[in-house]
Amino acid sequence: MSVPDEDVTLRGISLIRAFTDGAKSRNVIDDVSIDLHRGQVALLMGPSGSGKSTLLAIMSGLLKPDAGQVMARENGRWLDIWKMSPREREQFRLRNCGFIFQGYNLFPALTARQQLEIILRWGDGVPGKEARKRADEMLGLLGLAGKEHKKPAQLSGGEKQRVAIGRALIKRPRFCFADEPTSALDWSSGQVVIDLLQKASHEYDSTIIVVSHDHRLLEHVDVSYQLEDGRMMENAIPCPTDTWRGHQ
Amino acid sequence: MNYSLSTLWHERPRYLPGIGAVAFSAVLIALQCGLLLGLFKITSIPVDHTRADVWIGSPEVLSVDLGRPIPMSQLSRVAGDPRVAVVEPYYQSFGSWIKPNGGSELCILIGCSLEDDSLGSITELTPELRAALTEPLSVVVDRAERKNLGVNIGDYAEINKQRVRIVGETSAGLKSLAGAYVFCSRPTAAQVLRGVMPKDHITYLLLKCHNPADAEVVAAEMNQEYKDSHDMTVMSSSQFSTRSRMHWLIKTKAGIALGYTALLGLLVGAVVTSQTLYAATVASAKEFAILLAMGIPRWRITSMVLVQSFWVGLFGVLLAYPCIHALAWLGTLVGVFIPLPWELLAMSGGITLVMALFSGLIALRSVRTIEPMSLLR
Ligand SMILES: Nc1ncnc2c1ncn2[C@@H]1O[C@H](COP(=O)(O)OP(=O)(O)OP(=O)(O)O)[C@@H](O)[C@H]1O
Ligand SMILES: [Mg+2]
Repeated sequence: MSVPDEDVTLRGISLIRAFTDGAKSRNVIDDVSIDLHRGQVALLMGPSGSGKSTLLAIMSGLLKPDAGQVMARENGRWLDIWKMSPREREQFRLRNCGFIFQGYNLFPALTARQQLEIILRWGDGVPGKEARKRADEMLGLLGLAGKEHKKPAQLSGGEKQRVAIGRALIKRPRFCFADEPTSALDWSSGQVVIDLLQKASHEYDSTIIVVSHDHRLLEHVDVSYQLEDGRMMENAIPCPTDTWRGHQ
Repeated sequence: MNYSLSTLWHERPRYLPGIGAVAFSAVLIALQCGLLLGLFKITSIPVDHTRADVWIGSPEVLSVDLGRPIPMSQLSRVAGDPRVAVVEPYYQSFGSWIKPNGGSELCILIGCSLEDDSLGSITELTPELRAALTEPLSVVVDRAERKNLGVNIGDYAEINKQRVRIVGETSAGLKSLAGAYVFCSRPTAAQVLRGVMPKDHITYLLLKCHNPADAEVVAAEMNQEYKDSHDMTVMSSSQFSTRSRMHWLIKTKAGIALGYTALLGLLVGAVVTSQTLYAATVASAKEFAILLAMGIPRWRITSMVLVQSFWVGLFGVLLAYPCIHALAWLGTLVGVFIPLPWELLAMSGGITLVMALFSGLIALRSVRTIEPMSLLR
C-alpha cells in the first residue's frame, strides 16, 4: 500500500461490496481503491448501474463494505470509519460530512433560511441568532440573497439545488458527497452548481466528490474517475487545468 | 418548536384528519360525561335543592328515591339532641299517577313542610306555590313533566287512586330518572300514601344542625350511636347526594357504558392521529434521511414528531371546545341539560391531549424506518 501524499484526506482501499439479487451474489463494487485530495472536486463517472452511488455510500460511512477500508484524515489523524461504532460514525459524519442529492430533498414547509439553520441548530446546537446569521451569509454566497424567506415551492430547480448545497456546506464540512447534483437541472444551472462546489472546495479546503453522468462537468472539476461494472477503469485522470482555477 | 409548527401550518390538509380525530374524542368524552353528570344530578334533586344538613332514612338506603318508611317515633330520638336545631318529617314515595284521560305514569310524590324555613321544600317551590299547596289534596308538578302527566293547571288527576288537583307548576326543568316529581304538603302526602305507608311512618327525617359545617361529623356520630338498632341511616346531605348519584351510576351501568364509549372514542382518535403523524413523517422521510446522513441524531426527528403530536392534540382540543358548547346548547333545545363544569372540560381536554402524545409515540416507528441509504440510488 502506497503512502498517501500530504493532500490525501479520504482513501478507499480495496473496497468490495456485493448485493444479492435473487439467489446469486454479485460484486457491485469490485476491489476499488481511490484517493481523494483536500481542496479538490473529484468527479465519479460511469454508466448506470456501475456502482457509483454504492461507492459514494461506502466512502461516506452510510453503507458498510464487505471488505476493504475507508480511511479519513481528521486533524492529521487517520481514522478507519468502518471500524468505528455506529455512534462514533454518526458523530464523525456530524463533524465532517455534507450531502447533496439529485432530488433536493428540502422540507416543503421550511424557508430557505430554516433549511440551513436546522443543520446548525440540531447538529451543533448553534444558538438561533447565530445560526440565522450564518444561514443568511451562506445564502448570500450562493446568490440567494433576498430569498431567505422563500419556501421550496417558490424556488426554481436551480435555486432549490443551491439551497441544498448551502445545507451541505453550511457547517464547512471536511468532506462533501454529491450524487447527481446537476442531473435535474439545465446546463447553465448545472454549471452554477458545479462552480459553487468548486469554489467551496477551495475556500473551505474541502474534499468534494461528485457523481454524475454528465461529461460536460469534466472541465469544471479537478480530477475524474471512471467506474465500470464496479471496477475503477483509469485511475485519477487530472482534468485540464483551467487558467481561472489556479489551484492544484 | 417552530419547525414543527411551520410544518403543521404548511401542510394543514395533511394534519387535519388528526386534529379532527382529537377533537372528536374530546367532544365525545366531554358530552358523554356531561350527559351522565346531568343525568345523575337529577337523581339527587330533592337533596341538592333543599336546606337540610342531615338526612335520616331507612337502613342502608341506596338512593334518595328508594327510601322506605321509617317510624315517626324516631323523631323523638333526635329531636332532643343538642347538636340538632330543627327536625322535620318528610315524605317521599313512588306513586301511580292516572292522567285525566286514563293513561298512567310513575311519579315520585314529595310531601314536605311548607313553611318559609322548611328544610324539605325545594327552592323552586315559591311562596305562592307553597301557599297554594296548603289546600288539601293539591299538588304542584314541573312544567317540563306536565305534558307527560297529561294535565293542565287546575285539572284533577289521581295518585294511588286518590284524586288530587294541580294547583301550579315549577319551571325549573325538574326531571327525574324514574318518575315525575310531584310536590305536595305533608297532610296531602299522608293521605295519598296511606295505602302504601304504615300508619305513623314517614320516609325521611331532615335535620338542621346548629353548626351546618358539622353535618358530616354529626351524621357519623349518630350512625355510631344508633348502629345497634339497625333501623336508620344518617347521612349529611352531600353524602346522600353522592350516594344517590353513585347508586344510579352503578345500577344503570351507565358508568361502564361511558367508559366503553370513551375508550372507543380514544381508540379511534389515537388510530387516526397516529396514522396522520405516521404518514406525515413518511412523506418527509427523504428530508429526514438527509439530516441523518449529516450525522444529526435520530432523537431530533423523534422529538419533532412528538412535538407535532402535541400541537395536533392542542389544536384538536381547541377545536373541540366550541363544538362541545354548541352541541350542549343544541341539547338544551331538545330539553337535555348537559352541565359542562370546567373540571370536566379540563379533564376531557387533558385525556385527549395525552392520547395525541401517545399517538405520537406510536407514530415513532416511522422514524425508525428512515434510512439515509435510501437517498443513494
Ligand atoms: N440495495 C440493493 N440491493 C440489491 N442490489 C442493489 C442495491 N443497491 C444497488 N444495487 C445494485 O447495485 C448496482 C449498482 O447500483 P448503484 O446505485 O451504485 O448504481 P449507479 O452507478 O449509481 O447507477 P445510476 O447511475 O443509475 O444511479 C445496480 O445494479 C443495482 O441494481
Ligand atoms: Mg446512482
